[in-house]
Amino acid sequence: MTAPVLEVADVRKRYGPTVALDGVSLSIGGGELFGLLGPNGAGKTTLISILTGLTDADGGTVRLFGEPFGRGRRDLRRLVGIGTQDLSIYPDLTARENLRFFGKLYGVRGDDLAGRIEEVLSAVGLSDRGDDRAGTFSGGMKRRLNLAAAVVHRPKLVFLDEPTTGVDPQSRNHIYQQVRALNAAGVTVVYTSHYLEEVEQLCRRIAILDGGRVRACDTLPDLLKTLDASLRVAVAGAPPGFAARLAAVDGVKSVAPADNGFKLVVEDLPPVLAKVAALCAAAGVELAAVSTREPTLERVFLHLTGRGLRD
Amino acid sequence: MPTLTLALKDLRLLLRDPRSAVVLLLMPVVLILVLGLALGEGFGEKPDDRLRVSVVVRDAGLPAKAGRTFPPKPWSEVVVDDLTADPGTAGGAGIRVEVIDSEEAARDLVARGKRAAVLVFGPDFSDRMDRSSFLAAPGFEPVNPFGRDGVVLDRVGLSVLRDPTQPTASAIIEQVAQVSLFRVLIPYMIGQAFARVGDDRFMEQLAEMLQDRKPIPPDVLRELDPVVQKLLAALTADPNFAAIALDEFRKAKGSDFLKATGDAATIARRTPEFRAAVGRAFQDPKLLAAMGKDLAFGEVLTPAVRAEVGPAVRKRVGDLFPSYDFTAPTWAQLTRNQGREGADRNRAVYAEPGTKRYQVLVPQYTVLSAFFLVLSVGWLFTAERRHGTLVRLRAAPLARWQVLVGKLLPCLLVSLAQGFLLMLAGRLLFGISWGPRPWLLVPVVACTSAAAVGLAMLVAAVAKTETQVAVYGTLLVLVLGGVSGSLMPRELMPESMKRASLVTPHAWALDAYSQLLGSPDPQLAVVTTACLMLLAFGAGFLAIAWWRLDLE
Repeated sequence: MTAPVLEVADVRKRYGPTVALDGVSLSIGGGELFGLLGPNGAGKTTLISILTGLTDADGGTVRLFGEPFGRGRRDLRRLVGIGTQDLSIYPDLTARENLRFFGKLYGVRGDDLAGRIEEVLSAVGLSDRGDDRAGTFSGGMKRRLNLAAAVVHRPKLVFLDEPTTGVDPQSRNHIYQQVRALNAAGVTVVYTSHYLEEVEQLCRRIAILDGGRVRACDTLPDLLKTLDASLRVAVAGAPPGFAARLAAVDGVKSVAPADNGFKLVVEDLPPVLAKVAALCAAAGVELAAVSTREPTLERVFLHLTGRGLRD
Repeated sequence: MPTLTLALKDLRLLLRDPRSAVVLLLMPVVLILVLGLALGEGFGEKPDDRLRVSVVVRDAGLPAKAGRTFPPKPWSEVVVDDLTADPGTAGGAGIRVEVIDSEEAARDLVARGKRAAVLVFGPDFSDRMDRSSFLAAPGFEPVNPFGRDGVVLDRVGLSVLRDPTQPTASAIIEQVAQVSLFRVLIPYMIGQAFARVGDDRFMEQLAEMLQDRKPIPPDVLRELDPVVQKLLAALTADPNFAAIALDEFRKAKGSDFLKATGDAATIARRTPEFRAAVGRAFQDPKLLAAMGKDLAFGEVLTPAVRAEVGPAVRKRVGDLFPSYDFTAPTWAQLTRNQGREGADRNRAVYAEPGTKRYQVLVPQYTVLSAFFLVLSVGWLFTAERRHGTLVRLRAAPLARWQVLVGKLLPCLLVSLAQGFLLMLAGRLLFGISWGPRPWLLVPVVACTSAAAVGLAMLVAAVAKTETQVAVYGTLLVLVLGGVSGSLMPRELMPESMKRASLVTPHAWALDAYSQLLGSPDPQLAVVTTACLMLLAFGAGFLAIAWWRLDLE
C-alpha cells in the first residue's frame, strides 16, 4: 500500500443510546480503489459522514492527507468528492448548470471549469444532454450526473456511496468505467455498494463493517482465504481405509463420509482435486461424480456478519 | 465567492419556480384587481361633507431674504394651511383641500365640469406675497394686493380656473380663497408696517421732515417754560454750577480776578431772581418770537432723542390697541387668539375616481405578499433537503454563514423586485399615485423586504418539509396580515387594535406606505421610524433563524 491518504483510528460515534461506530480503524493508501461493505445499519453512512466532514466523530482520529480532519477543515474538504447514496443534484438546473455550480463551489473557475465540465459530461456519457434539466433525466442518467458532480472539482479522494443503486445496466457500465478511469488517474476511491460483485470487480482492498466495527479489511484473495473450499466426491468400490488415504492427501484438512462418497474440506481446491483423482485411479476406485464449492466474498461476508448484505 | 455562487444558483432556481411567480406577483395583482372590482369605486373614499377646494401649486417658493424668519415655508403652503385648518370651537364642517398635480389636469377637470373652480398658485406667488406691503421705500417695489372687492388675486399670482356652468360654486370657492388670503396677508402687512413705526429710519425721516418746520412759534416755546425752569432749578442748586461760573469768569480775557469772583458770588446769590427773569422771558411773545426765529422742530429730535422716543412711540401705539398684536405675522397672533394649524387630514392629493381604492389596496397587498416570501424561501430550503443537495453543500468547503447569506441574498433580491414591481403595477395597472415624495418608497420597499426576508429565513430554518412550509407559512402570513390590517384597511381598525398590531412588521410597513401614498405631506419621522422598526424586525428574525437553523 502506498502512503495513506486516509487514516482512521479508533473512531467512535453514538446517536443517543445507539452505537453507530465502535472503534473503527482503517488506512487507505493513495490511488487505492477501496471497497466498503456492510449490511444496513453497519455504520457505513456514519463513517462516510465523518470522513467527508459532514459530522464529527465522538472519539478517535481521522487524518486526511496526513493532516487531522474534521468539520472545520474546509481546506481539506476541497480535496474530497462525495457521490451520495441519494441523488444530490438540482433537478431544475441543467446538467451543465449543476456541474458549474458544484465546480465553482469548490473554487474551480473560468475556462478551467468550462473544460472540466465538458470532460466529465463526456466521461459519464451526458455530453448531448448537458443543456437539459436534470429533472428530465432517467434514473441512470441522474446517477451519472451525480457522479460527475462529485468529481468535477478534481478531488484527490472520492467517496462513492452506492453509486449504482437503481440504475440500468448501461448507466452502471458508464459508472464502472468512470470509477476505473478516476482511479487510473490516481484518484483514491472509497466505494460502497450493496452489490458484492461490483466490489469484487472494482476494488482491490475491501473492508467489511458490521455493528460499528471493521470485521475484516484485506485484499479480495486474502479475504477469500479466510474460508475453506469443499469437495464432494461420489465413488464406487472404495476399499476399506480409503477415507484415511484421502485425509492424507496434501491440502486436505478433513474428510467426512457423505452419500455414496466423501466430503472433503480443502485449503486450495485445484491441486487437491488433481491429487484426489490420481488417488482414485491408483486405488481402482471409480469416481462417479465430483462437486466443488469455492469461497466467495458473499460467503466471507456471511461468515463474518452472520447475515446477507441486503438483510 | 462561494456565497455569490450559491446566491446566483438560488436566484436562478427562484426565477424558475413558477410557484414563486404566482405567489409573489400574480396573486397580489389578481387579489388587488378582484377586490378592487368587488369593493367598487367608493372603497377607500370616506363620506365627506366638507367644502372641497382644489388647488394646483406651481409656486416656485420663497425668494432669498437675509434673516428671514417668516414665513417658514412657501406662501402657497401658508395659504393651504389656513384653508385646511380645523374650524375650531366654532364648529362647522371645515374645508378639505385637494391638491391636483398639474394645471393641465385641473383645466381638464374644470372643462369636464368635475370641479367648479380650481385655485392655481402661480410660480411667482411667494414672491408677490412676500412683496405685499403698505409701505414704500427706495429700491423696494411693493405689491398692493388690495382692490375694491378685496384681494386682487392676479396681483399676488393666484388665478382661478372656473367652470362657467357652476357660477355659484366657483364664487363660494373664490370667496373662501379671499378670506384665507386676507387672514394671511393682513397680519403680515400690518406687522411689516407696524415694525416701521418708531424705528431708526422712521425717526430719521421724521427729524428730516421737521427740519423744515421753523420758526418754532412763541406758543410752543412758552410751553417749554416748565421744562426750562426745572432745568434751571436743578442747575443753580448744584454747588458745581457756582464753581464752573467762577472758573469761566476768571478765564475770560482781561478779567479782573476780584471782579470775576464778585460776579460769580452775585450769580450764586441771585439764582432765584435769574430763574424768575427766564420765566418772564418765556411769557414775552416778542422775546419768544425772536428766540424761535431760527429754531426748527427737527433740531429737537437729536439721534439720542430719536433712539429713546421711537420704541416708546411704537409701544404706546401698540398699547392703544390691547386686543391686537400688530407685530404678529399671523392672524391668530394679530387677534390674540389661539393659533390655527393646517391639518393633514384635511388635505389630499387628487386621484382619479376609483383609484382611491387601489391607493389603499396596492400597499396592503404589496405588504401582505412581501411576507408570502416565506413560502418561496421555505420551499427553497426544503427542496435543498429533498433533493439531497444540502448534503453536498455541507460537504463543500462552505461555512454555515456562507450558506445562510447565500440563501438570503437572492431572497432579498426577489423581494425587492417584487416590491418595486408591485408599486409599478399599482401605478401602471391601477393608476395609483406614488405621492409627493416617491423616492421615499425606495427605503420603505427595501426595509419591508428586509423584514420579510428575515421572517422567511426564520420559517425556512424551522420548517422541515414543504408541507410544513405551505401550511404553517400560509397560516403565519395570513394571521399576521389580518392582525396588521393588510387584509382590510388599517383605518377601519379600532385604535386599540391598531396599537396592538404594531407587534407585526406589516403594520409598520403599512403606516409608512400610508404616509407616502395617502398623505399630501408625508411625515419623514413616521417613515423613518417605520423603516427602522422594519429593519429591527428583520434583524431579530434573522438572529432567531441563525440560532434555529439546522443544516443537518
